Parts: sequence; structure tokens; C-alpha cells
Amino acid sequence: MSSTANRPVCILISALGGQGGGVLVDWLVSAARAEGLAAQATSIPGVAQRTGATTYYFEVYPRRDDAGARHFSIYPAAGSVDLLLSFEPMEAGRAMAGGLVGGETTVITARDRVISTAEKVLPGNGILDAAPVLEALDQLARSVQTIDLRTAAEETGAAPNALMFGALSASGVLPFGYEACRAAIAGSGKAVKANLAGFEAGRALPKTAPDPAAAEGAGFDPAPKTLAAEVEKLPMPVQAMAGHACARLADYQNDAYARLYLDRLGRVAAVDSAENGWRLTQLAARRLGAWMAFEDVIRVAQLKTRPGRLARIRRELGAPAGAPLTVHEFLKPGREELIGLLPAPFAPLLGRERPVVYGRGLAMRLRTTGPLGWLSLRLLSRLRGWRPWTARYRQEQAMIGQWVDAMLAAAREDYGLACDTAELAAWVRGYGETRHRGFRHIGRMLEEFSARLAADSAALAESVRAGLEAAHSDQDREVKP
Amino acid sequence: MNVQAGNQPAVAATGLGMERSFAHEVEKLKLGAGDKFEGEAIVAVTKALLQSGVAYVGGYPGAPVSHLMDVLAEARGAILEPMGITFEQSSSEAGAAALLGASINYPLRGAVTWKSIVGTNVASDALSNVASAGVKGGVLIVVGEDYGEGASVIQERTHATALKSSIPMLDPRYDMGRLVELTEQAFELSEAAHLPVIMSLRIRAAHMTGSFTCKDNRAPEFSPHNPLPGAIQTTDTIVLPPASYAQERDKFETRLPAAQRFIVEHGINEVFEGRRARLGIVLQGGTHGSVVRAMNLLGATGPDGETPVPLLVLNAIHPLVPDQIADFMKDKDAVLVVEEGNPAFIEREIREILHRRGLPCRLRGKDILPMAGEYTLDVVRRGIGTFLNEEDNGKDGLGPVAAEALEALDAARAETRAALDATAPPPRPPSFCTGCPERPVFTALKLLQRERGKFHVSSDIGCNTFSTLPPFNTGSTVLGYGLSLASGGAVAPPLNQPAVAVMGDGGFWHGGLTTGAANAHWNGHESVLVVLENGYASATGQQHVPSTGSTAWGRPVKLSIERVLRSMGIGWIRRVNAYKVSKSLRALRAALDARGQGLRVVISDEECMLARQRREKRLSATREAAGKAVKRERFGVDEEVCSGDHSCMRLSGCPSLTLRRGQDPLKDGPAAVVDPSCVACGLCGEAAHAAALCPSFYRARTVRNPGVLARLRHRTENGLLRIMGAS
Repeated sequence: MSSTANRPVCILISALGGQGGGVLVDWLVSAARAEGLAAQATSIPGVAQRTGATTYYFEVYPRRDDAGARHFSIYPAAGSVDLLLSFEPMEAGRAMAGGLVGGETTVITARDRVISTAEKVLPGNGILDAAPVLEALDQLARSVQTIDLRTAAEETGAAPNALMFGALSASGVLPFGYEACRAAIAGSGKAVKANLAGFEAGRALPKTAPDPAAAEGAGFDPAPKTLAAEVEKLPMPVQAMAGHACARLADYQNDAYARLYLDRLGRVAAVDSAENGWRLTQLAARRLGAWMAFEDVIRVAQLKTRPGRLARIRRELGAPAGAPLTVHEFLKPGREELIGLLPAPFAPLLGRERPVVYGRGLAMRLRTTGPLGWLSLRLLSRLRGWRPWTARYRQEQAMIGQWVDAMLAAAREDYGLACDTAELAAWVRGYGETRHRGFRHIGRMLEEFSARLAADSAALAESVRAGLEAAHSDQDREVKP
Repeated sequence: MNVQAGNQPAVAATGLGMERSFAHEVEKLKLGAGDKFEGEAIVAVTKALLQSGVAYVGGYPGAPVSHLMDVLAEARGAILEPMGITFEQSSSEAGAAALLGASINYPLRGAVTWKSIVGTNVASDALSNVASAGVKGGVLIVVGEDYGEGASVIQERTHATALKSSIPMLDPRYDMGRLVELTEQAFELSEAAHLPVIMSLRIRAAHMTGSFTCKDNRAPEFSPHNPLPGAIQTTDTIVLPPASYAQERDKFETRLPAAQRFIVEHGINEVFEGRRARLGIVLQGGTHGSVVRAMNLLGATGPDGETPVPLLVLNAIHPLVPDQIADFMKDKDAVLVVEEGNPAFIEREIREILHRRGLPCRLRGKDILPMAGEYTLDVVRRGIGTFLNEEDNGKDGLGPVAAEALEALDAARAETRAALDATAPPPRPPSFCTGCPERPVFTALKLLQRERGKFHVSSDIGCNTFSTLPPFNTGSTVLGYGLSLASGGAVAPPLNQPAVAVMGDGGFWHGGLTTGAANAHWNGHESVLVVLENGYASATGQQHVPSTGSTAWGRPVKLSIERVLRSMGIGWIRRVNAYKVSKSLRALRAALDARGQGLRVVISDEECMLARQRREKRLSATREAAGKAVKRERFGVDEEVCSGDHSCMRLSGCPSLTLRRGQDPLKDGPAAVVDPSCVACGLCGEAAHAAALCPSFYRARTVRNPGVLARLRHRTENGLLRIMGAS
């Protein structure tokens, strides 16, 4: 395309509402104007809300003297976007899917995700990985700079748009220089000092940001010393998870309870083998650990009164050490939770299906920064010793036992079914109504498991698979189990 | 007009209003002859109105023309009143269009504005009447064409309205100077043809930046400073027979031809000659930038950037001038019509002209351009490329180069597809802002639907429309502004359950009061109306509504939704704090259960958070600087307690309630986290309580510059906590 030389430099900006894309474009326009360059900007700012994807588009002729060739477009076009500046990696992906990234495009994009509603509402992990998008950008674009925008903003205290403007200025794509950019920020008259600092920090950002998700990744706690030897008797691939679970359960109850875990897991390992890669045992190690650490009122009280928690909250809030801090907990122990604390003979009262009426019951707003609030939670957490005698404990252990037996039975017939059965424990999650519904659901799935296995193992396998599918797609009461 | 500028009582008393400032834009409206205007197109058009001597301006806010109203509202005291210009923010587009009645009998220029197509639909009764009666003073209707990317309304073009009502319509070329010139000429065109004129601006065009050289503002000839000699009455301008028959004939025999003469004589449409004289493109003015750039990207333009194919740029898309069209086409082999939207009125009319005059020119258009949808640059390039390839494929033709360019594009597209390998970005539509008071109401409605099974909810226009999307998925229909209640009227009986209608206060005053509440009450509908009273028409940028407490320019006046409903005889009305989910639940439950009691109304009451934050941020900054106590609050989640089930997300969707990849390998999903943008609206806690969700939420509060008592209390409590081992 020979005569494209007389088109302007084209810059596309993808942002989310509220990230300051509009102000960034204003800086670009005034910098170009001050340099005497013909430029035009436009935008799809969306509605007034501070959410949703927005785009801004800026064109500038690189030389003062090319009068007569100043035709502007309000749309970007494939093959003629010289720079894509994206405040979010998936938004860069959106521009790319629209054909707006090619060999001519310098890409500067945030590396850290801003998670969309569609991803948030899924139970389990619905977060999309930015890596495939970044790989595709690498493949297509002229060059790609990734920025960990959240960390950079936190570290420098700068606004994201000032950082991005700095990175844009350092890219060498703009036909006006450093001074013009600084003058534009200064000329805007708003938060000048902070934005200039952000601009400089943005210019100094490295070419590649590490994957922020990698740093957030899960880590295994070591097994308590008292149990380490027993953990080491398990197959190698399950040891890390089992050790982590033991640490959790020892904290949750005591070493004996963690031994109960190891005992149950050992039975699963006994029907598993290295040929299967210990898959069943690995699945069971995780699910069993999570289930046995079921969260009851006692556990919540324990977690909420951990030393150091208030200090963490203080940090999050940015409150200096001496400043007053008030923390209110929003607790709603329901009927089931309270009955669950009663002695074991009350267990039959649990798990009954009752019509749900929202917005009623005991809504507590407990002030844990006050001595009374803190003390009441602390005392509640001391009920730990009482837990093994509670109705809830009995109910949970009975169901766990049933589930482990089902896994063992299935493993003898159909290894895949056994693995699916292990995963069925995904139903045991959440609190309140979600928890009770999931619990009833897995109860139904495990009912007369052995008999159904003997009668028609294929049909059972099918129904377990369906149950598992439902566990992953279920959104509260919208999917009927 | 009894409010004096500079003598406005403070709005602070009402707590609402004046959250945004357009002082910067107002300064631009004051520029005089020779000054250089630099800024957004919609403000440039506003300036052009003032240069045209308008006597009145009205309108209803809506993207992308809200700015016109916002800026004028702020300029009312400083510019409009001294010039004697009447300004109102009409309560609907119908009201705005009715303002144009002033120009029927009197030589007054006037302009109104709204978002189209929806606003034009609402205004069409008055538009038909004013077009039929005809105008003495020039009348301009500036419509924001909410079409294509970023649009929030039905995808229709305004062109059909212009055709049926014989209203000349401009679709100007997007060059700031030309845009301003055409705005001014529109008034002359209107006066020459005695017809109102529509000028349409696309979303991107309204927000386009540019510059032009100003003229002085022109005060209207007649105004409170120099009143009209007297009122006029004549039956000729009343739409009753026989005048209506005469008006119809007059439109087609006299007025539209006069418009056509004006268009030609004043060069409204533009011809750009080019060396490929056997070809041509006829285009809407608004697509000019795309056509020229497309030509450039197809390798067809010369070093000067000018297009080699002659262009007929229709800045006036109605009426067309057959002689002008025929003159452009007469020696051409093939002509392409670039016409965004459907029906293809321009293409059809040109085809008719060719047919009537027996011209042999081949006409291309919707056969090689898409039938529907936005004509983006990429779309236009493909159409023009095909046109050149098929119509100019000789040895020296532009076709081969264009074909090559298209092939390169196809290859690039294939490469993109391969690289992306089915990775798709998540949908990211607009939604309720952080801390929005409308969100908790839908939390309550969603919980109620879980409790009782789905019931029918009709949605309205405004931010509340977002409830139809995840996570709430509440709202089955959207029929128009203020129409939610009426649109449930025939649904309740066959479902044998009360129909729920949600409506914002904007929708209520726009039409919901009469079309909805009066109608439902009068007809005895089994309905529940939920009014979201947040104080503003929020979706378009927090414009004031009659119940805000003040006009856009700060005159305190409040119309009460509750009182007006009560005065109509509606007795079942509950007012609930929007953030209290459990209370909303109770009110909604009671409303649904009050069968046989006619219309029940739940007013959900809290100010738009965006507006509130604007005001409070300023306020607390001042307080903090003055050394006074300032609270800072936000919610948080105990990661260890969060089960990763995300039930809370499904009842919120708040941007500040998000996910962080979990640290705990035992857990299925990433943990919930509240990010620093939280404004502590309280929904997280309310939802956790109402739905017995999860005990992981807490609210943390600190105080900057705490008072003596607060410090003392903190120190005492902290000491006790330390003794108990809390820290």
C-alpha cells in the first residue's frame, strides 16, 4: 500500500469506564495542538456509568507542513493502527479480534486482568487467562509492552492513565516529544504534580511485566511436624496436598482430626495405583481436606479473631497505626448453624428442606474492634473442643464416610467413576442456603450408591457425570438439581 | 423567567444538584469574532446555535447530545439570559418538539435536541404538526444518532421521519468548520423552505475534537428585551381541514422545492472532482471521512490525499435534488452509493432518478455494502474495494491495487483468527456503577424470584435497563422510556400474578406518570411499580429531573413523586431506603401479596452514587484540609472465610467486588476481594444478611483527623483488645 504514507499516525485506546481514558486523550490532543500538528480525537465513551468497555481513537499528522492531506477518520481501521494502548489485556484481545492489531501495531497493554461480571458469577474458577491473548499479540503485533498496571499504580501512587501516557510517550510512536507531553499534563491544571510523577514512572516501566497471576498462585503449607512422617507414607504425588490439608485440619481441630483425614485418604490410596498416576488419591486429598474443614460458626469465629487480622485490615484501608479503626462483621447464623451447635442427638433436625424466605432471621453486626464483640467471637471459637459432640459434626462425618465408601466401591468397578465421585464433593460449598442445598444434593447422589453400582454401573456413572456438570454450572437456585 | 441570574439560592439546602461543572465549556461559548474555538463537536454546534441568533433552545438529554443541554444549562445565567434566549430542559422530547410551535407564527429562530431514534419517536407528534403548519423563524433539531458501536437504543435511522414529515435533513461532513457553517445555514434553509430542519450527528462525531474560527454571538431580534409586537392567530397554520390539505400540497409543491433550490444555491452538498471521471460515489456527508480514508488505505489516493473517484457529498440527505444527482451521474459508467442504515432511501431515490431520466449509469450500493449495521471504516473500505475491483478493473484501473489491498486484509484477518485460536474476550457491557443505589433493589428482586419462582418484570429505559444483564437477569421487556408499567398491563392476567414494573425517576416524569401510573390505576391493573428515585436522569450524565430538587441551573423546585401518586388516589405506597435489601424484600413481598388492591408502588430512594461521590469527595477534601474529622470506609472480605462459591457476585455485580486468585489449594474458586474503589454503600453486608450468604464480609472504617473523644475511645478499646490478645 504505497500511498498510506500520507495518512496520520493512528492510536487506539481501549479502556474500561472510570480508568481515565478520556483525560489521556485530552492530553494527547493538547500536546498535538501545542506542537502545531493537525490532530483529531473521538470516543465511544458509552453511557455515564463507570463500567463497561470504552474506546478512544486519536489521529495526528506527524508533520506541520503536510497541509492538504489532513483527512481524518472517526474510525480506526485494520492495518492502520500504529499503536494500541489497552488498560486491560482482554480489551487488547477485543481490539485484536476486531482486526485492529497487525504487523504495523505497537501494543502497550496492562498485564493484570480486570475481571468481568461474566467471569465473576461462575462458581469455582471462571477467570479467563490472559496468556493466550498476549501470545497472540506477540505473534501479530510489531512489538508488545506489558505493564502490571495495578502494581505500578500501587507502587507509585499514580493514576493508571498517567502511567499509560508515560509508556505511550516512551514508545517512540508519537510525533511529538517528551516536553510536549509534560506541558499537556501541566496545562490541564488538574492533579498536575501526581500526574507528572505518574507520567515519569510510566516512561520508566520495563518492557515486560511478570504475570501477576503467577505471584498470586496457590502455595502448600507444610504438614505439622507431628504428622510429617505419616504424610510421607502416602504416594509421592499426593504428599504436598495431604500435608497442606493436615496443617489445615490440625489448626481447625487437632492432630487427631488430621490423622482421621490421613486414615481416610490411606484407604483411598489403597485402591489406587501408580499406573493410574494416583489420580483418584490426588482428587480425594484435596476434596477430603476441604470438606473436613467445613466452616461452622466455631471456625468462622476462629478465623475472625486471629491475631494480626486487624493489622491486615488496617493496611488494606490505608489507616496509619494510631488512627481509630472500626470493623463490623456481618454475620447471619441461620437455624441450621445454630442447631448444628447442639449435641449430636439433634442431628436429625438438620438438612430438612424448608421453604426459603430471605431477609429474616438473626442478622448480626458485630464490632470486632470493640472488646465485647471481639470477646464474644473469641469465646465462640473456644467451642472448638465441643465440636466433635455437635450435631453438625456428626452429620458431616456421616456424609463424608458415605462418600469415601462410594469412592472405594466405585474404584473396584470403574476408575473414572471413582474420580467423578471424588469430584462430587464440589457440591459441598458455600454457606447458608447454598451449602444446605449442595449438601442435600450430594446426599441424593450418594444414596444407595453400592446397590446402584451393582445394578447398572453405566447408568450410575452417567448420573454422577451429570451431577458433576451441574455442580460446575449451578448458580444458586437458577439450576434445579 | 422570573429568576435572576446571580441571585440563585444555594442548592446545597436540598443536598442535590450542581455536582458537575461545565465552566470550561461555557467559556468557549463566550468566544467572539476571530477567536479560535477548540473542543468537541457537540459544543461547537452549541456555539453555532448562539451565532445563529436563536431565541429559544430546549431538549431532552441523551447521549451523544447531552452535552449541548448540560453546557447551555450552566451558561444560562452568564450568556443566555443577557442575550434574551429562552432555555428549558424539557420533561420529554415531545415537550421539546412542542417548543418549536413558537416559530410557526413568529419570526423566532429556535433549536431543540435529543437522542434519536427514540427521542424522535417521542417527538414525532409535534414534529408532524410543526412541519405541516410550517415555520416563519428558522428551526433546527439537532439529533444524536445513537447508532452503531456504543449505541443504547433500537437500531433505526432518523431518515424515515424526515421523509414522512417532509423535514429537510442534514448529515454533515465531519469537518469542524464545515459543521459549524452547516449548522448556521440550517436556519436559513429552514426559513427559505418554511420547514423545520433536522441535523443528525453520529456518536463518534459528537465527541470528535477540532477547531474553527468563531463569529460573535447574535442575540435574537425578539426577546424579553425587545418583545414581539403581539400575539398572532390564523387558521392557516392550524392542522384542521381545509388548511391541513393546503399545507400538504404546499409542502410538496412549494416548500420542498424551495429547500432544493436553497441546497443548490448555497452549496450545501459538495462535489469533489477526481481524475476517474467515469466513476463516482454518492455519500452521506457523515461518511465522508471514512470514504476518503478507505480510498487512501486501498492505495487509490494520490500524494495529495485526494480521492481519484469523484464524490457527491450529500450534506443534505433530504430532500435530494434530482438535477444535481443527474448532473453528477450523467457521464459516468458506475456510481456507488454509500448509505448507512436501511431502508436505503437515497439509493432507491437515485435509482428512480436514473430510471426517469433514462441515464445508463450502473448504480451500486447495498449489493456490495452491508444491508444493515454501522458503516465503519473497515466496512466502507471493503465496499469501495469491491466497487473499484468490479468497475475499474482495466489495465490502469484502480481495481487491481484495491483487490490486492483487500486480499492483504483477508490474509491478515485469517492470521488474526489463527493467532487468537478461538480465544474470545469476555463481554463487558456497561452496568451499575460501584455503590449504585439501584443494584440492591435488583438483589432484592432476584432473591424474591428465588423464593417464589420467576415473575414477570418489565424494565424501563435508564441505568435500570442493566438489570436485564447478568448477574441479575431481571426484566423481560423494554418498550420505551416510562413505559415499563404500561407494558406489563396485558401480562399480569394470563400469568395470573401481579406484574412488576421497574422505572427510574427520569422515566416516571418522562411519561411514566400518565402512561404508566394513571393508566394502571384507572384501569385497575394488578401491578407493582418500583420507582428508583435516585434524583437524576443518571444514564445520560446526572441531568436533573423534576424531583431532583432544583433545575439544572440551580433554581430550587421539587416535584414529589409520592405526593403526585397519592393525589391521584393511589394509596398503597411504600418508601424504602434503596440500600436496605431486607426492607426492600419485605416491601416488595407485601406489594406482590396485596392482590386486589390495584396499583402498588414501592419507591426505592437513594441518590445516584456517581453524583453523590462527586460532591462528597470535594467536601471531604476540604474538610480534611481544614483539619476536620473525615470518615473513610470500605468493605472487605476475609479470604480464609470466603468459600469461592461466588454467591455474593451473583447478587451484586459491583465492579469493586471482584476476584483474586486463591492462595489456598484446597479451594475450588478464587476468593472474593473488595478492591479499593469500594465506596462502602453497604450492599455486601446487606446481601450477606438478607441471603444468609457468607460471614466473610466486614466493614472497616477509619477517621482522618479524629476528635479527642474518638481518639480516647480508640486508645481504650485498643488497650483492652491487646490484653485479650487481638493484635
